[in-house]
Amino acid sequence: MTAIFKRDFRAYFTSPLGYVFLAAFLIIINGAFYLTSITRSTNNLSLIHRILLYTLIVLVPILTMRSMSEDYKQKTDQLLLTAPVKASGIVIGKFLAAYSVFVIGLAVTFIQVLIVASVGTPNIPGAIGDYIALLAASAVYIAIGLFVSSLTESQLVAAVASIGIFVFILLLDIFYVFTKVEFLKAILYWVSMYRRFNTFYMGVFSLADIVFYISGAGVFLFLTIRVLEKKRWS
Amino acid sequence: MIEVSGLTKTYGRKRGVDRISFKINEGEIVGFLGPNGAGKTTTMNIITGYISANSGAAYIAGIDVLEDPITAKRRVGYLPEQPPLYPDMTVLEYLGFVFDLKKPKNLAKAAHIAEICELVGLKEHAKRVIKNLSKGYKQRVGLAQALIGNPDVLILDEPTVGLDPKQIIEIRNVIKNLGRDRTIILSTHILQEVSAICERVLVINNGQIVADDRPDNLSGVLSGDRKLAIRIAGPRDNVRKILRGIDGVVFADSTIQAEQGAFDWLVEAQPNVDIRKPIFNALAQANYPILQLKSMDMSLEDIFIQLTTKK
Repeated sequence: MTAIFKRDFRAYFTSPLGYVFLAAFLIIINGAFYLTSITRSTNNLSLIHRILLYTLIVLVPILTMRSMSEDYKQKTDQLLLTAPVKASGIVIGKFLAAYSVFVIGLAVTFIQVLIVASVGTPNIPGAIGDYIALLAASAVYIAIGLFVSSLTESQLVAAVASIGIFVFILLLDIFYVFTKVEFLKAILYWVSMYRRFNTFYMGVFSLADIVFYISGAGVFLFLTIRVLEKKRWS
Repeated sequence: MIEVSGLTKTYGRKRGVDRISFKINEGEIVGFLGPNGAGKTTTMNIITGYISANSGAAYIAGIDVLEDPITAKRRVGYLPEQPPLYPDMTVLEYLGFVFDLKKPKNLAKAAHIAEICELVGLKEHAKRVIKNLSKGYKQRVGLAQALIGNPDVLILDEPTVGLDPKQIIEIRNVIKNLGRDRTIILSTHILQEVSAICERVLVINNGQIVADDRPDNLSGVLSGDRKLAIRIAGPRDNVRKILRGIDGVVFADSTIQAEQGAFDWLVEAQPNVDIRKPIFNALAQANYPILQLKSMDMSLEDIFIQLTTKK
């Protein structure tokens, strides 16, 4: 697992992919910071963190589109799957590599808290709650992206399909508003990624929602492991 | 060391491998020979645990590959048909990654990798990025990757594909040397390779084993030293009369006029009769010199075609 994590993490920075991701991430997030906090002179950072959650729709596929697809294409999956390593080790190593790159990007945004602190008083506990929620929520997105990548050997298909799924998740919230069926409404309310983030936006730290995010990530990691194991039987 | 019993793998309706069974002893170098699509790669993929068979089992040193894949995989080095390389890494980085992946015990990483690079002739190229290497060197990196961790069993799928003739000879020698203390299966459709390296050949066709023997036995059994191709300087009719008059000759005919006044003849003898001396004496007496004589021993190519086309 550590070997795969190290290789994948390095691969993000020996190819343009890691830099493209970080550049896109920081441009969007700092642009949003300028438009919300600076032009409006507010110490409220929660809005940016909410925007960040939406940008994951396009940012995460950059990270995960080639995680498994590239291995299928280069046939290096043969190396990984015939080495004395469990499928779970491969998947978790790859997940952690993508996740770490994301965490680097997220860590840089902490500067925003410092900037606000230099001219006013930021809501530090609120910001920390947001960050924890973002760390948990992004794990779900990255796990989904990795899962999609394990289904195809085309990076392009992986990227487009991931974006599609993320947009669908976003649309669930709109369905929630419009549906009249109580039963459906209850389900949509329960699965909504964004509604759960709202709790943090309101300044409440909700352990239940963190647990939901982490379990969601776990489910998709498990499915990815199953995809790799099933490859043997196809 | 390697045992395979009743292995069957179907792809949809097509049978990739059909109830294959064989046993390979420790220290043997065995060649898998067969046309494209015969099931060589499928068999190798099953033995290495990359894919699973629909039925049957594969054992490495008595360990069931399906039951205990991690222990079995630890003992196998695999070079797939397309070497599994990460093009953006350097040779050293890549081999280091493979080392970390296999986590062999009791081996010093840097020294072990240096030793393998030396062995496969990658020493001068160790710091190069893999995507810039030529196909032959990529193949060597693939082989180096299989050797990491000193596995007892090596499975090499067409190890000399894409190499130039000089490299082919080098790699064959490397494989031969490795075979002194290892069990090796290699697949190929190049027949000289089998006779050059292997002690035993398994000929696979349509997912089944059609022959299992030593390469020289295989050619001896099927051909027999009975056909001769002779170039004789002399008029056709006279030579024919002489040849057909010799005891033990069952067939003699000229094929083409090869040189001015000389014809190529195909002569077949009865089993277990050596007709070379009588032919020489008879023709010498008549003053029709023999310009060339060779035995039409069946080459592995002929045997291969005979084995894989007969139904």
